[in-house]
Amino acid sequence: METKTNLKSPSNLALKIEQVSKKFGNLTVLENLNLEIQPGTFVAIVGRSGCGKSTLLRLISGLDQPDTGGVFYDNQIHRQLNGHARVMFQEARLLPWQRVLDNVRLGLGKDSKDRALEALKHVGLESKANEWPSVLSGGQRQRVALARALVHEPRLLLLDEPLGALDALTRIEMQRLIEKIWQETGFTAILVTHDISEAVTLADRVILLDGGKIDLDVAVDLPRPRHRDHPKWIQLEEEILNRVLNTPEI
Amino acid sequence: MNIGKFLPNFVVRLSGWLLPVSLVIVWSVAVQNSWLSSQILPAPIDIVRAAINLTVSGELAKNIAASTVRAGWGLLIGSSIGFLLGLLNGLSRTADRFLDTTVQMIRNVPHLALIPLVIIWFGIGETGKVFLVTLGVFFPIYANTYHGIKTTDPQLIEMGRVYGLSPWQLFSQIIFPGALPSILVGLRYSLGLMWLTLIVAETIATTSGIGYMAMNAREFMQTDIVVLAILIYALLGKLADTSVHLLELRILQWHPGYKRR
Repeated sequence: METKTNLKSPSNLALKIEQVSKKFGNLTVLENLNLEIQPGTFVAIVGRSGCGKSTLLRLISGLDQPDTGGVFYDNQIHRQLNGHARVMFQEARLLPWQRVLDNVRLGLGKDSKDRALEALKHVGLESKANEWPSVLSGGQRQRVALARALVHEPRLLLLDEPLGALDALTRIEMQRLIEKIWQETGFTAILVTHDISEAVTLADRVILLDGGKIDLDVAVDLPRPRHRDHPKWIQLEEEILNRVLNTPEI
Repeated sequence: MNIGKFLPNFVVRLSGWLLPVSLVIVWSVAVQNSWLSSQILPAPIDIVRAAINLTVSGELAKNIAASTVRAGWGLLIGSSIGFLLGLLNGLSRTADRFLDTTVQMIRNVPHLALIPLVIIWFGIGETGKVFLVTLGVFFPIYANTYHGIKTTDPQLIEMGRVYGLSPWQLFSQIIFPGALPSILVGLRYSLGLMWLTLIVAETIATTSGIGYMAMNAREFMQTDIVVLAILIYALLGKLADTSVHLLELRILQWHPGYKRR
């Protein structure tokens, strides 16, 4: 079964992480980490709090720099923030003083209105274009944040627990939306999450980080959209969950 | 509980004026019945008469204009300096380290204590008065601009960097709008200090302005004009405050705390 159709195959990005280490003071967060991610795949990084998953995402985005080693975008070393990657944070981080449409257009030129509206339509919020962010619900804010990321047509979308603060129902809706948009556009996606079931539902590949190292790296070979009652799904979720629970707490 | 629900809309709107109007009525009755000597406090009707006379002679308009010009210049210069210095120290750690101690020292000198020195420096002309107002309005704007910039949400700045904003865009779209509520609070404080400073500055050696009008009237025991001057200060102060409030409602539309009700 073909897991996804790649409409814009040259637009997605191959990522390589080579011998990356990161320390904060005396605390080693990542140690000689190696990881290769194929263009267009959806990868989930899971692990306990403090396992270094968010740090890894920040290094990949270029918000932080590794102490040693390097992050490569299409075999080019990546040293600073650039237009290829966009990040969705746990909080929507919308500018409260700009209307929804202007939030989506952030950093774009004057002629971006139609594109921004198009992106809002994608997330089903074109009717809220002229609202202030303060009147939106938490889920709607995250959808605006998703539209803001999509309007740049990123080749790499980094998701830092963007659904962590949402209620269970909204979360499932958002997961479906992200999956749908990813299938349509075909960017490379990296999702950091502590929710194993979310990882198994969305990702082609689940990576478990522990103590700054990769503890587990499994491919999820299930047809999409995935159903949580699929025996393979249940088996995978349990396997990963047990592995997380067996790893010693930091 | 919100009593506004049970009253007609215009009553709620005017409720702020209820107390001042009742006070004026009580005052009227007190003077009328000679419980209060008109030498101490003239009847409201005398004040109205004085206001009409001075308006007709053009004196009132001339004095209000003179005061407003002084206040305006002082506010313009003082708030510009305060705003720019607040920006500089808020944005640059180096500037902050160099300048903040000095600013805090200047702040702790009551600016009205400088009056003797100001008279020596600038004489009794306009410059000295504008200088005093400048000093008075400077600090609230400085402190609030500084505070507003320092408290901009670092998460939004980080987001802006990820979305490729230039340093100017970061400032104009994130840092400045984030600091605006605080800057406007500073402006409101400044306007209060502006009139306060002007009242004091205009009672010393002037030939025009509302303060001059009051001082002059005192010489001739014209209490009605003295009270009129005080009332004009009160009204001008309220007017200034209201205009900033309207500005807040307009600029801070996005802010849940400033919703028009």
